[in-house]
This record gives sequence, structure tokens and C-alpha cells, in this order.
Amino acid sequence: MIGKRAFSVAYMLLLTLGFTSAVTLVYGVNEERIERNARLKLQKIVLDVLNVPVPFPSQPLNVIEVFEDRVRIHILNGQPIYMALSEDRRDIQGYAFRMSGAGVWGPIHGMMAVSRDLDRVLGVAFLDHSETPGLGGRISEEGFRNQFKGQPLPPARIKDATYFRVHPQATVRSPNEIDAITGATGTSNAVERMVNGALNRYLPFLAKLRLEQEELTP
Amino acid sequence: MAGKGARKLFIKGLWEDNPVFRQILGICSALAVTNLLENTLIMGLSLIFVTSLSNVTVSILRQVTPSRIRMMVQTLIIASYVIIVDILLKAYLPDISEALGPYVGLIITNCIIMGRCEAFARSNPVWPSFLDGLASGLGYALVLLTVAFFRELLGFGSVFNIPVLPAEWTRWTIMVMPPGAFFMLGIVIWLVRSLGPKPAPKADARG
Repeated sequence: MIGKRAFSVAYMLLLTLGFTSAVTLVYGVNEERIERNARLKLQKIVLDVLNVPVPFPSQPLNVIEVFEDRVRIHILNGQPIYMALSEDRRDIQGYAFRMSGAGVWGPIHGMMAVSRDLDRVLGVAFLDHSETPGLGGRISEEGFRNQFKGQPLPPARIKDATYFRVHPQATVRSPNEIDAITGATGTSNAVERMVNGALNRYLPFLAKLRLEQEELTP
Repeated sequence: MAGKGARKLFIKGLWEDNPVFRQILGICSALAVTNLLENTLIMGLSLIFVTSLSNVTVSILRQVTPSRIRMMVQTLIIASYVIIVDILLKAYLPDISEALGPYVGLIITNCIIMGRCEAFARSNPVWPSFLDGLASGLGYALVLLTVAFFRELLGFGSVFNIPVLPAEWTRWTIMVMPPGAFFMLGIVIWLVRSLGPKPAPKADARG
């Protein structure tokens, strides 16, 4: 009886060891690739919100090359700010920063960028979310994201300002109003909170950073 | 293994004992991942891979595994294969891996796989076990693809992401949402059971 039990324990132990080693091995072989995929995805999104064009973006090497050439990373209060250099590399074209918030089914992480003079939105994109596919999931589609592109930001900074507001489709009148996604009010509102929150949080810091940079490059 | 036996296994897996519409197993993922054909196809292939290899492994170990700990062993085997699939998807198909989200990991708890390990692989040689796993996985994948075809067509107006319906087509949003999955799966099960040839009544009918 004891022998049987001991065998069961030893057998299970050995088998677990074997299978976990196999899984670890598979992971080890692919680890670099998985990390590269994640990095590539982030770089693509940063370039996209900063409006930096990539020739043939389906080629990973192109994305990496353009990113290294045009984007500089500045750490501000522990958060990365991605700065895009202008085409002549002499000035800065825009600043991208992360945004996040609670969606309907889970957290939404995204990225948004503002222009050099902090007076315009350059772009908005989403890194990951778990919204309903076909409904809230459509925030990743260009049709929705492009609504933010080029929208003016008021110069005066008020605390907790509402920069953007979502409205039911076809009722949008002013430029800072965004068409909500029909059937996905929860997600649309979540995006509104995220975008406004991120702008309120980052614009003051970016204004300071901009001043410092202007002093450095007269 | 004679070809006739293999054929019988496939008929069972795909039709007579089809895991989804006969045994009503694996329904959770059948509802969750079937709004786009592309995701469904990858999910189906992943499941075929895990079911057949788990069956093979359980069958290889069937004479050594003490029967009292066999469930633990099966779970370990299944979980290992599923994590391997998950890693490979993340490495080679990152977009689809993201779209499938937690459902790849949840293959571990898919009753079809453990069901086949318990019902077949535990007491059969390696090759038939492999075929049995393959057939059950295929049976699952085919039903899911059928459901996904109609959900994507009506919900997005496309087939494998290629738009086929005119742009004026009003998308049936409900097809993309969970209720659409329930309706479609219900209709498929109903049609198959009422229109399809009925399996011969078994002496040991399980009710």
C-alpha cells in the first residue's frame, strides 16, 4: 500500500517535472519573439498616434528603424513620454503618452499624442482592451480614432477640464464632440473619461517640459 | 489499425458522437470565439492539436499511470499542451492570440479533451487514440466554423474578413454579441438533430 502511494507521488512529481521543463523550453525558445512582438506593437502605436509615417509598416524592420530614428523617450514622473522629432530632426513634432481606464469588461490601455505646441491632438490609439468585439471593440477602428485627430485643445488649462465629450451619433455639433459607438455607450463613455483624464494629467507636465526644451534650443 | 476502424472513429467524432451538437460539450468557447471565422479557425486548430496530442500522451502512459491519480495526470498533460499552444500563438500570431484572449488558456477546462482522455485514450492504444482526438477536435472545429460563418456574415457582412455583402447591408449587431451565439448554436443543434439522420438507437441508451 505504502509502496503504491510512494509510487503515485514519485510518478506525479516526475511527470510534472518533465512537462514543466517542456513548457519552459518552448517558452525559452520563443521568449525573444514574444517580447519583440509586444515591443513592435507599442512602437507601431506610438508612431501611429504621433503621425510619423512608416513605409510598408507590415515589415517589422521598417517600424523599428523609423522608431529609432524619429522617436526619443523621456521619462516624466516615472511615465514614458514619446517625443517625435520633426522631419528635419531639429524640433519636436509631438508628444505621445499612455492613457488607461476601466472599460466595460476590463481595463483599456491606450496611447495618445498632442502636437508640439500642445494645441492639437495628433492621434489616439488603443494598446489593449477586452470590449465586446464588433461593438465596444470598434474603438480600435480608424473611423472612431480619427475623430480625435487634429482636434483643437483650448489654451487655458482648467483643472479637471472636459476636453472631449461623446455624443450619440449624428448629434455632434462642435469639434470637441465625438461620435459615440452605437450600442456601446459604456465603452464610449470610458474612452471619454480616459482621454480627458490623460489630457488633464499630462498637459501641465508637457507645458513645463516644452518650456525647458525651448530654452535649450533657441 | 485497419482503415475501417479509423473511418468509424471519424464518423463518431464528426457526427454520431459529435462533441458539440450531440454531447453538448465545449459550449463555452463555442459561444465565445465564434464571431469571426479567422479566430474560430485558429481556436479549432488549437483544440485539434491539444485533443489529439493529449490523447496520445494519455494513451502512452496508460499502463503506468496509477488509476487513482489519472485525472491529475490528465490535467497536467492537457495544461502543458495548452500553454504550449498559447506561447506559440503569442509568438507567431500575436493579433489572433490577443483576439482570443483568455479562451486559449481556457481550452484546459474544455470538457471535450478530458472527456476523450477518460472515455477513449485511457483504455486504447496510441494510434486509435490519436485518431479519436483528431476526429473529436475536427467535430468541434466544424460546428464552430458553421456557427462563425453565419455570425460573421450577418454580423459583419464578411467571410474571413473579406466583405461579401454590399455596404448598405445593415449589420445584425446581435449576431456579434453573446445572444447571437446562443441563437446560432441553438439553431445548428436543432437543425442537425431534427433534419440529420438519426443515429441508430443504442442498446445502452444513456437517456
